[in-house]
Amino acid sequence: MNNAGQFRDHFRELIEAYALGSLDAEERAAVGAHLATGCEECTRALEDARLLVSQLAYLAPEAAPLDMLRGRLLQTVRAEAAAAKAYTSAISKSAIPLWMWGAVAAVLFFALYNAYEAHSLRETIRKTQEALTAQMELQQESARRLAWAQREALILTDPRSMKIAMSAGTKGMPELQATWHHSMGIVVSGQKLPMPSGNRTLQLWLIPKAPGAKPMPSMTLRPDADGTFDLLVANPPDSPSGTKSLAITEEPAGGSPQPTSTPIWVGAVAGK
Amino acid sequence: MLYRRRSSPNVFLAVLTPSESNEVSPDAALVNRLLQRDVSAFEDLYDRHSRIVYTLVLRILQQASTAEEVVQDVFLHLWRNAAQYDGSRGPFLPWLLTLARNRALDQLRLKSERQRRREEQAEELPPVVAIPDFEGSLDEKRRAKRVRELVALLNPKQKRAIELAYFEGLSHAEIANALQEPLGTVKGWIRNGLLRLKEGLQATS
Ligand SMILES: [Zn+2]
Repeated sequence: MNNAGQFRDHFRELIEAYALGSLDAEERAAVGAHLATGCEECTRALEDARLLVSQLAYLAPEAAPLDMLRGRLLQTVRAEAAAAKAYTSAISKSAIPLWMWGAVAAVLFFALYNAYEAHSLRETIRKTQEALTAQMELQQESARRLAWAQREALILTDPRSMKIAMSAGTKGMPELQATWHHSMGIVVSGQKLPMPSGNRTLQLWLIPKAPGAKPMPSMTLRPDADGTFDLLVANPPDSPSGTKSLAITEEPAGGSPQPTSTPIWVGAVAGK
Repeated sequence: MLYRRRSSPNVFLAVLTPSESNEVSPDAALVNRLLQRDVSAFEDLYDRHSRIVYTLVLRILQQASTAEEVVQDVFLHLWRNAAQYDGSRGPFLPWLLTLARNRALDQLRLKSERQRRREEQAEELPPVVAIPDFEGSLDEKRRAKRVRELVALLNPKQKRAIELAYFEGLSHAEIANALQEPLGTVKGWIRNGLLRLKEGLQATS
């Protein structure tokens, strides 16, 4: 493909602009077609040109993204990693083993001949059915965990979700992040939370906009042993538009119908 | 972070490329761990490169909120499609920057033409958070400084032409129109400018 020196040189000269993306449509198509022939020199030149062009990024005035972006990304990534783990375990745990299908086939085979007469055969059938049911339940449990993690990932990534920073009233308490999706629910998460004493638990409340209305109780959750808090409320008791703020209090195990302590975290729901 | 240099003609690439020994660059090792859904590898990659990615995307989009969305999109794409990066085709950061630039330019093209013109007229850069330096290696800082010095040596219109192409995704014809210069002149400026940058970077390393 590169015996026509003139042509090759012509394309070679366009490679930098091709990497930069500044060629007009016609030239771009011509270079693309030439590269598709597998010209090695131009392919290598293109890799170099891409490196060169990427250095232009340093011409931009330096800036840094907000820490909140990092937190949001990590939440999503953690949720997805958990989903991937659930998925892997769903596959490894719940595939119905081959021997079991063999057992089912054998049972059916004998059943045809003996027409359920032998007690031992009925016993075999019963045991096989039990084993199958257990497998199905395991599979369902894994599927449920997977669906849950996926829902959480969707809530966290959908740009329509509302981000609510929940700050702590007490010094030294980490900030929590709430993300509210109008149809998929609320995710509240945080890291390095202290463990509530005894059996006590953390409970989420929706504080309604309507003056004088009582806080609406939502779900309870204790942080895990690492202090990670990751709560998904699939069906919050109210909509974002009816809610002034989210609050979290410490409550006795099982939660309370109304708050019994002052909120540790509060975050305002931005009204539209 | 110490890369041995290649003795290939593309010396300037040496700063960006791991040596040809079997040593795997830190970035490539982190990307490999992403394939195993390793969250801490993702954290490391984010901390190493989010600033320059954000810097680039913000320069293109001129709006912090949209820029953050694109940066989020870029890093999630990396997390979900780490296998798309092929270490044998070159170092990681230029690959990531190319991805980020393409996403940002796509986003820019989504904006209505009217809105875009208004912003160009205003020619207003967003307030930039003052950051002492990139979190990257000393090599990266040196390189950033060198790139700026080298481009500053170009004639101002030549520099502007390259910026219009890189940050705004304009074609040669659009740049010629914007700068009121002949098309051939613009093409020459861009190629010559890029080659001078390349020579300068080669001489540096
Ligand atoms: Zn060629």
